[in-house]
Amino acid sequence: MWSELRALRDGVDLGTPPRDGEPVTLSVDGVPVTVAAGSSVLLAAGIAGCTVPKLCATDTLEPFGSCRVCLVEIEGRRGYPASCTTPVDDGMQVRTNSEMLTKLRRGVIELYLSDFPEGDIDGGWSQLNDTLDQVGVHRLADDHPYRSGANHQSGVLDLSNPYFLFDQAKCIVCSRCVRACEEIQGTFALTIGGRGFGSTVVAGQDESFLDSDCVSCGACVQACPSDALIEKSLFPGGYERADSRQA
Amino acid sequence: MSAPSNMRVFVPCDALSIALGADEVADRLVAEAASRSLDVTVVRNGSHGLFWLEPMVEVEVDGVRHAYGPIDADDVPELLDAGLLEAGPHRTSLGPTHSIPELERQTRLTFARVGVIDPRSLDDYLAHGGFDGLRRALTMAPGDVVGEIETSGLRGRGGAAFPTGIKWRTVLGAPATPKYVVANADEGDSGTFADRMVMEGDPFCLIEAMAIAAHAVGASHGVIYCRSEYPHAIATLEYCIDVAPQHGWLGSGIAGSGLDFDIEVRVGAGAYICGEETSMLESIEGKRGMVRPKPPLPALEGLYGKPTVVNNIITLASVPWILANGGAAYSAHGVGRSSGTLPVQLAGNIRRGGLVEVPFGITVRELIEGYGGGTASGRPARAVQIGGPLGAYFHDGQLDTVLDYEAIAAAGGLLGHGGVVVFDDTIDMAAQARFAMEFCAAESCGKCTPCRIGSTRGVELIDKIVIGERRSADVAQLEELCDVLEHGSLCALGGLTPYPVRSAMQHFPEDFGLGDRNSDQNFEQKVGESN
Amino acid sequence: MIRDRTLSKRRQPERPSLPADQASIVSAVLAANQLDPTRLLVVLQQVQHELGFVPNDAVGQIAVGLGLSRAEVHGVISFYHDIRTEPAGRHVLKVCQAESCQATGGRALTQHIQDVVGCELGDTSADGAITLEAVYCLGLCAASPAVMIDERPIARVTVARIDRVVESARSAS
Repeated sequence: MWSELRALRDGVDLGTPPRDGEPVTLSVDGVPVTVAAGSSVLLAAGIAGCTVPKLCATDTLEPFGSCRVCLVEIEGRRGYPASCTTPVDDGMQVRTNSEMLTKLRRGVIELYLSDFPEGDIDGGWSQLNDTLDQVGVHRLADDHPYRSGANHQSGVLDLSNPYFLFDQAKCIVCSRCVRACEEIQGTFALTIGGRGFGSTVVAGQDESFLDSDCVSCGACVQACPSDALIEKSLFPGGYERADSRQA
Repeated sequence: MSAPSNMRVFVPCDALSIALGADEVADRLVAEAASRSLDVTVVRNGSHGLFWLEPMVEVEVDGVRHAYGPIDADDVPELLDAGLLEAGPHRTSLGPTHSIPELERQTRLTFARVGVIDPRSLDDYLAHGGFDGLRRALTMAPGDVVGEIETSGLRGRGGAAFPTGIKWRTVLGAPATPKYVVANADEGDSGTFADRMVMEGDPFCLIEAMAIAAHAVGASHGVIYCRSEYPHAIATLEYCIDVAPQHGWLGSGIAGSGLDFDIEVRVGAGAYICGEETSMLESIEGKRGMVRPKPPLPALEGLYGKPTVVNNIITLASVPWILANGGAAYSAHGVGRSSGTLPVQLAGNIRRGGLVEVPFGITVRELIEGYGGGTASGRPARAVQIGGPLGAYFHDGQLDTVLDYEAIAAAGGLLGHGGVVVFDDTIDMAAQARFAMEFCAAESCGKCTPCRIGSTRGVELIDKIVIGERRSADVAQLEELCDVLEHGSLCALGGLTPYPVRSAMQHFPEDFGLGDRNSDQNFEQKVGESN
Repeated sequence: MIRDRTLSKRRQPERPSLPADQASIVSAVLAANQLDPTRLLVVLQQVQHELGFVPNDAVGQIAVGLGLSRAEVHGVISFYHDIRTEPAGRHVLKVCQAESCQATGGRALTQHIQDVVGCELGDTSADGAITLEAVYCLGLCAASPAVMIDERPIARVTVARIDRVVESARSAS
């Protein structure tokens, strides 16, 4: 199954890991698609060739369901389930685009942008930039009511690790780094500290990456969709934090 | 006339009664009785829930309980002088307890024993029908026990109103083992205290209910997750789950049957979100209380990934009565799809605050005026929040709404856990809307984006609306944010926070600087198309 | 990313350890919970019950004792508002901030309490007598407003009543 999907996906991140199960056939935006039972709707949509925006989902990690941009509509079900955490069912009819879905995804992206350095959007090459392209929102309007709200733009900039850095201003708290550290590396050096708006990615007991149990495997850097964790080698002249959102 | 012998005098041990001075009253009664050489036993019962009369003292004369209240510790000597032990007249006399009007008019099924018995006495529990439901259940096949719950029409009293029988049937049918029964006692909604009253007033009922559930679904272990704000409830529960196995009501071979089941009390640690069932399961597993996506349903993959019944305390406390009296007898109460009774909790600015168990179908007005006697301040009631911090605010024109799940939903609200909080005309509804967002921000687990960031933006937007520099743009943005919260959140905390916010803005626009709903024809446009 | 040998073999930084008396209390708590990682929250509650708080220097010992990482233990500690990492004042006064108390003058009462105690919610008074905490509902809503000092609930709170409570908390040890 894994190899079939690898072939199929053609370099595309399908969002959730493939499963091994009986074939299940569903339709996504009218396109029939057959995947293994236990697969996510997000994966099925990817195989059907329908692009569903996503941020916290990647096919090397178990689904998490936190970012809420992969919402879809499913015939006969109420609401707007996250496609990454919704398993496929035989005969399921999925819609990945509608006026409401566009509105909800834009609404979520605006919330992200309200706590993200504006200067890092233009020319950015992260997965977040891809998602912004897909949703069609790149910055908050100058008079957007979300501007000047509370934010984490003066949060930690951790340069302690020789190979990568962590810039909290660009962290979208999707937990992909925390999950990669657990699921891929098994080191458990990272966690989310605090809760609610105060949730932040922290190493160890809220210490520098170097002082924590981090073994510099790089799984977290690989997993980060917003370049908050990024290789230092990309900044030969030294890293400078981008201008934060204008108030 | 000789002094009466072996008299029983009752003083509640319920936390709110204690908060109003019940311990001091009980201590004084013991001391006075000793100094007067009276043969008196002071029994610490639960509260009947008539809190404007607490601390209430009762005396049992010829098998009838007579009530006095509210009693201050300093009233005790004169109360004894007035002939308390013969139920003599006193300025605080309330007559026979069962004929106090606010109690007499109730339909007490779930709360039949609360206030009547000594919660720590197994004998008292057994003498009042305790374990009748479990005894009957143990003679029935598990599927038939579930069938009885299905017949009763019982729906989850925690807020989601999901049919309990369907949940139990799912767990019964799940092949994996072991299975668990989790009692959700993380009663965090402001204005609610029914769970607390059961745990403090009739704890063996909860134990009995969990044992019935264990038999019905094949569970071997139970957990009661109680919030840390309820130290008295925790102490009572721990006492009772210690006593029950000593008499064969928990442990192996319960009541001589083949049922093996034990219960553990776990205490919360200051997180409202842990009342959400998946967050609670994470917390019981020792983790951060982060909400899990559904599916998988906890009924299939719950505690430690195993099939788990998660029920609210009131849901469970309704179960022994249903098993003892039959599901049909229960569903004879109530209206439509809301069968049985609902323990309503009257709170906030209300003259006669307390617990009122009534069949579904009563109006809000009857509750807050008939039972509650209007506001405590004597000023007009302006707003009523029904269903806790995630419930909608109702205005005075909506008070004839009938209390059942469907009618409240049709009026744009939700019944939640049955809390009714009354506000008088001094309340600033913009401040209440702000608080709803603030509460969501304070208690968000932080997993999903709408709730994690959106709640903070909501607070900021309401502040801007009140200041009013760009009011219409800010109102429009708040509307959009409410849509994202309602439809995009992972769980009900973010999903329902728009209810109090929108209802406050729609019904009380003048508090937001949006004109008066009575005089301004355009206010609907200004507040958008909420609801 | 290339793995750096010197980095992965580097000496872990020296971490301060708990004083021996506290460490033995933590050990006893861990043993009483059978070193079961699913009992982490219970362990934290019991350590706090014994020591009054969960010292940062206890995290390593708890993590090793339960087979968890320090990050996991820190994540749980920082999630739950009840778990404190600094000692509280001699008394903890929880002041309800929720709707039922708001309906009965709770906002003004909170302000008064902060004025009388001399600190904000979440802080401890300068004399170390009282820590003020916000709480969202004590379940005493039929007789609001309500507070709880240590584990003693008080309902239908008035300014005069709270002044007496604060005064006696200050004078008591």
